[in-house]
Amino acid sequence: MSAEPLLRVENLVKHFHVRLGAFGEKAATVYALDDVSLDIQEGETLSLVGESGCGKSTTGFTILNLHRASGGKVIYKGQDLTRLDEKTMRLFRRDLQIVFQDPYSTLNPRMTVGEAIGEPMLFHKLTTRAQLKDKTAALLQDVGLPTRFASRYPHELSGGQRQRVVIARALACQPKFIVCDEAISALDVSIQAQIINLLLDLQEKYRLTYLFIAHDLAVVRHISTRVGVMYLGRLAELAPRDALFQTPLHPYTKALLSAVPETDPERERNRKRQILQGDVPSPLDPPSGCRFHTRCPIAMEVCSRTVPEWSAARPGHLVACHAVNSGVS
Amino acid sequence: MTLVQPNPAIIEEEPPVSLWRDAWHRLRRNKLAIFGLGVVVLLAFVAISGPYLTPYDFLSQDLAARNQAPSLAHLFGTDDLGRDVFSRVVYGTRTAFLVAVVVTAIALVIGTTLGAIAGFFGEPYDRIIMWLTDMAMSVPNLLLVVVINASLKNPIARWMEAQYMATLNPFYRETIWIDFFLVFGSMALISWPPYARLVRAQVLSIRTRPYITAAMALGLSNRIIMMRYVVPNALGPLIVSVSAGLGTAMVLESAFSFLGVGVNPPTPSWGNMISDGLRVWQHYPHLLAAPAFVLGLASVAFSFLGDGLNDALNPRGTK
Repeated sequence: MSAEPLLRVENLVKHFHVRLGAFGEKAATVYALDDVSLDIQEGETLSLVGESGCGKSTTGFTILNLHRASGGKVIYKGQDLTRLDEKTMRLFRRDLQIVFQDPYSTLNPRMTVGEAIGEPMLFHKLTTRAQLKDKTAALLQDVGLPTRFASRYPHELSGGQRQRVVIARALACQPKFIVCDEAISALDVSIQAQIINLLLDLQEKYRLTYLFIAHDLAVVRHISTRVGVMYLGRLAELAPRDALFQTPLHPYTKALLSAVPETDPERERNRKRQILQGDVPSPLDPPSGCRFHTRCPIAMEVCSRTVPEWSAARPGHLVACHAVNSGVS
Repeated sequence: MTLVQPNPAIIEEEPPVSLWRDAWHRLRRNKLAIFGLGVVVLLAFVAISGPYLTPYDFLSQDLAARNQAPSLAHLFGTDDLGRDVFSRVVYGTRTAFLVAVVVTAIALVIGTTLGAIAGFFGEPYDRIIMWLTDMAMSVPNLLLVVVINASLKNPIARWMEAQYMATLNPFYRETIWIDFFLVFGSMALISWPPYARLVRAQVLSIRTRPYITAAMALGLSNRIIMMRYVVPNALGPLIVSVSAGLGTAMVLESAFSFLGVGVNPPTPSWGNMISDGLRVWQHYPHLLAAPAFVLGLASVAFSFLGDGLNDALNPRGTK
């Protein structure tokens, strides 16, 4: 990749230790995230897609240090965020924001919209008390809400309005990077479009960088610069949007893309669906070698033994697959 | 692309409603709760302005007018020493409120502190504090109070006497302070565990709410998260619990005074008045009825108020 990335994720690992059984007598490990590496360029929208439980959200949370990484590095401004204690991390939190999936539970029910937006500005000393009201009003306008909403409580707003408040709150920190963790999944389809357009407008206005976590491939295709596909805690493929959607390399990406319905009825009739056999294996006991080998239509003997290398099949098009690497497919 | 602006004309104008005000509106619709609140306010008023309301001194005896039935001169009649029962019930209300408020305050401070530490900081504090809580809850209440009374009362009385002899300070002659000290102490000792458990459970559940994670992601400090996010959201159930706890403390104080391990005569308490009245109830039923009725009324009022607050503050629990 060209210039120095805004954020570099190197071999990030996150394991959760859990206790199973009726009395918690069995200790087990959830391999939520294994060896994930990616660069995020300034101003781009990098999307992560994959099935539920594949580690998309965990990636976002671990990058922001909301989950402590079990291994690997997240490098921002020359600092490894995973090594920082909460106090030092706080200095970076301002730059790195997150918009969560569920706008109903991410706002404190006891605080008005104005207080919720004003609080981070005051805390990070981005405004004086005298200017607070104007700045809050400006942010509300930025996200397309009337300024009198400042005195309302979250329970008086609709889901879309709340998500706008959450976005305004993230913007209040004047961030450089925002993780949108399924930020539109909980909303109605008509509202989703509004919020996506809002996010794109804000990106242009404030030169924001997004890590967009989603499972709606149509949305991802619309907004992304690059797209990463995850499967069971690992990155399967990462490529510029058009390359990924037009010439996917990894068999899992191919299967995933074949599940997207076409809008053109002619093409929809001819669409070949590639249906994967079986279920996603448990992240408590992931398969050896390539994690996809149990369901892969072109699995080879080597796939169950060694983990495929994360390498560039073409410039900027990274993939982890033995078949692709050895030129079989 | 342009922003889709909500049309300001179609949004109806209503003043913003905070959750607290919303709860107050719900409470106001609940007749029983309002009755409870009314009685509690009335009793509190009586307790605070007691000395100005009573027609007689609660200790002054009028042996010519013993065991009189209720009349205009003596609203609740007089007792076996000719003391005005109405004045004594009013002073009993003072005692009951003093004990209830002080005991609940002490229990609340201990319980909230320990519960918050256990919930917020987790192991190993959690285990130690919950272990303490379970232990405190497993001791039979009455037994503990009797033991405390039996073992501490005489030493403290002797110490007070010695202090008086040494300093001649009249404060040390007020033996009533020993009663109150023991009642406050022993009742607080048995009242704090439920608060600790409640606060711990609240903190544990609120700590995992997404808005706490959101606040952490904004980089806010632990202190702000605690004061602005955890506490206001934990307050609802605590208010309900305190309202019920005040009623329980009054009943408990009366029970101990009834058994002679609480507030002792001549200081009036509903409990020791009931105990005195019980001996002669066949002849002078008003001596039993007056304090028993007021105690019953207070207890019922606090529980109605607690129930009403519960419904008002947790609207999803109803229906």
